[in-house]
Amino acid sequence: MPTSPAPATLPEGVSFETSSDDISCYRLDANDLRVLVLPQDGVPVTSFMVTYHVGSRNERAGHTGATHMLEHLMFKGTDAHHRRHGTSIMETLERLGAQLNASTWFDRTNYYEMLPTQHLETAVEVEADRMRGALLDPDDVEAERSVILNEYDRAQNDPVSRLFDEVWAAAFVAHPYHHPTIGWRSDIETISPDGLRHYYDTFYYPNNATVSVIGNVEPDDALAMVADHFGSIEPAAHDIPQVTTREPEQTGKRRVRVEQDGQLGAVLSAYKSPAATHADSEALDLLARILASGKGSRLYRRCTDQGLTSDVFGLNFRLRDPGLFSVFAYLAPERTHEEVEAALREVIAEIQENGVTEEEVERARQQLTAQTAFNRDGPMKIASQLNEAIAAGDWTLYTRYLDRLGDVTAADVQRAARTYLRDGRNTVGWYVPTTQ
Amino acid sequence: MSSTIHFSERTQDRPAGPVRLLTLPTPVDDFVSFRGSFLAYPDLAAGEGVLQQLAVAMLDQGTEHRDRFELAQVLEDRGAKLNLSSDGLYVDIRGQALADDLPDVLDVLAEMLQSPAFDEAEFEKTRAQTVGQLQRSLEKTSSRAANALTRSLFADGHPNYRPPLETRIQQVQAATRADVRDYHRAHFGATDFTLAVVGDLAHDPVAGAVEEAFAGFAPHESAPAHAVEARGGRPRRESIPMPDKSNVDVRLGHALPIRRDDEAYLPLYVGNYILGGNFAARLMTTVRDEKGLTYGIGSSLSGITTRYPGYFKTQVTLSHDVLEEGIEATETVIRTFVEEGATQEELEAKKETIAGSFTVGLATTGRLAYSLLLNAERDFEVGYLDAFLDRVHALTLDDVNDAVRTHLRPDALHVAAAGTRPEVVSV
Repeated sequence: MPTSPAPATLPEGVSFETSSDDISCYRLDANDLRVLVLPQDGVPVTSFMVTYHVGSRNERAGHTGATHMLEHLMFKGTDAHHRRHGTSIMETLERLGAQLNASTWFDRTNYYEMLPTQHLETAVEVEADRMRGALLDPDDVEAERSVILNEYDRAQNDPVSRLFDEVWAAAFVAHPYHHPTIGWRSDIETISPDGLRHYYDTFYYPNNATVSVIGNVEPDDALAMVADHFGSIEPAAHDIPQVTTREPEQTGKRRVRVEQDGQLGAVLSAYKSPAATHADSEALDLLARILASGKGSRLYRRCTDQGLTSDVFGLNFRLRDPGLFSVFAYLAPERTHEEVEAALREVIAEIQENGVTEEEVERARQQLTAQTAFNRDGPMKIASQLNEAIAAGDWTLYTRYLDRLGDVTAADVQRAARTYLRDGRNTVGWYVPTTQ
Repeated sequence: MSSTIHFSERTQDRPAGPVRLLTLPTPVDDFVSFRGSFLAYPDLAAGEGVLQQLAVAMLDQGTEHRDRFELAQVLEDRGAKLNLSSDGLYVDIRGQALADDLPDVLDVLAEMLQSPAFDEAEFEKTRAQTVGQLQRSLEKTSSRAANALTRSLFADGHPNYRPPLETRIQQVQAATRADVRDYHRAHFGATDFTLAVVGDLAHDPVAGAVEEAFAGFAPHESAPAHAVEARGGRPRRESIPMPDKSNVDVRLGHALPIRRDDEAYLPLYVGNYILGGNFAARLMTTVRDEKGLTYGIGSSLSGITTRYPGYFKTQVTLSHDVLEEGIEATETVIRTFVEEGATQEELEAKKETIAGSFTVGLATTGRLAYSLLLNAERDFEVGYLDAFLDRVHALTLDDVNDAVRTHLRPDALHVAAAGTRPEVVSV
């Protein structure tokens, strides 16, 4: 395996900051860009990813969806990379066989490429170029607006997607997790090119980004490329705005109801959960598994195996700010929302009352341990996991995950269930199919 | 130009009991991915596709030796993944496990395949869950449009034909436990059973574990009963009205007369890549980037195997207010491409793309296992994977454009659209 360079041999302008497990963290002296490097054996393929610390969390009313729209516009071109010259970002990178795309979520926007290592420098050059060189042409904004409205319509087709949006909107009244990442339709329709430019000029700077290089690459080569292409970009001349809104304490159970044409109903029960970096997060990860992962899980035995539900899931969304721990169930035919919701509540109450067994904790821990190994299957999977840790505010959540998981006891899981899965933190959503 | 994996040198291809086993060690830590399949040969026109689906769904519901919870516990205690699915003529297997746990997972798999209990109460639950899954598919514009297109191109009994979801729901509801048990007895066996295992492994221990697990799994005696050729017929348009679906999923396509081992396949594959294979292809750059009509568009050669031919398909999603404009724009791009052909520059670009993406595709054990399995299902030697890029590299512009002009027929495109039709506005 290629090894990380000793600090003494680092390329000029690069400083070593820290390391955790097999990932090393560096900074560019000129602009504070953080660079994470994970060398791997295997085929000569590397993932290159830029994570900007801006997501829909940073948006305000009237401009929801701006971060996502900006993500789309970032592919429309710069002076150097534009379809009118036959050098668009897609043409340039896909020609080399790169898998590339971008995504936006609450806490981050990431742009990524996985490509043969011999072409890594092209990906580095493209990402550095568009960090401050995006044109954001008004004509492109208008063309892309209808593309995004189609993306919005695609999501609206799915009643479960609407259900999640409405539960989050009800659970958060002040914090910007209230609005969906794609934005409200009226905002997508009206946001201006100047509004997008404002977001770009506020957040897209090297000192508000983290670069990750993962794959079969010599770390000193990768660092030299990053320093060469990103080193000349000026950091922001202003302070990057921070989100200061805290969600006020919820004082009672909330309910929403989505009615849309369809076949089978669903119940989503969501509880306010702590921020991703909180010490209880791993206990909640285990709780989600104990509740709804596999035939041995509590909700499978109580609901699916008894014919109440056709599928049930446990989801612990780990975000930078407090988020939602959720259980989601598709109703079985002929079953009612009331009886499924009661069954979910009963299973949770049983855990709060009597706790979970050591055997359940060990099984869930082993599942997450195996999953962690599977998630190292190729540089792109690693990048995807690392990206969420970066977005949550501590990239070492990725490298320290198994250690943190190993510390959790059955008593911790019961305490987490008692602390967070309370009625006063609960928002319940029903999807009720209608027939038109 | 050859692959960076050197499949022929590093893959071991050998019989392990009744299984054709392909093993490939790669430098990952502690885990393996595996993919497998065997031929079941359902009589699809007689509705046996549904029996196969139910039989597969019953496999993890208990065996003659362990109940559903005991089976699940073996996998869940190890964090292993094991999924079985029904895919036309095949039963497919896929999974991941920590390397040390592979023998235990193979034992569970072998037990599920060979001695399912088909308990009556579990059958009732499985049938209800299957109906529920099919009902959820009724809500999806994508599956409704895609399935409708296959019915325009193929007759019932062809592996590419997808029966109406309502028909499948009725067939599931009518199926009995005895039907499913009898189907399992007649169609589940080690017929063309192939298993590809990739990751942190040594060849011989994996072969030993496979041989031991499947020693008693004999081939079945069922014979192929599926249709092979596409149906004829003039192009038609099918609309599936669905309330509350302002995004309309559209599929355009026609049958192709070629199989995967036909000489024309590779040049047509490259031609299609230029038309609609990625973001930089003509459909995406024109209908999305220039015209802003869609979030997603692409084209593919679908359902083509060495056993039967398949079809050319374009998929596009359109908000209902631009439905007709979007379909017309899509058809225009296809027509222009066929009439004018690809350019030398496009061909060279896509050759480079295919070479790079082939290498990128080798970066995961799951993808490697799938490539090895698919190659074996086609009866190709492992060396085909090493020679693939040389074959692509040798293609000329005439090869590609001849294949495109011969096989892509814009005037023969069937259209299927599912979603909410735009309302007619009176003025």
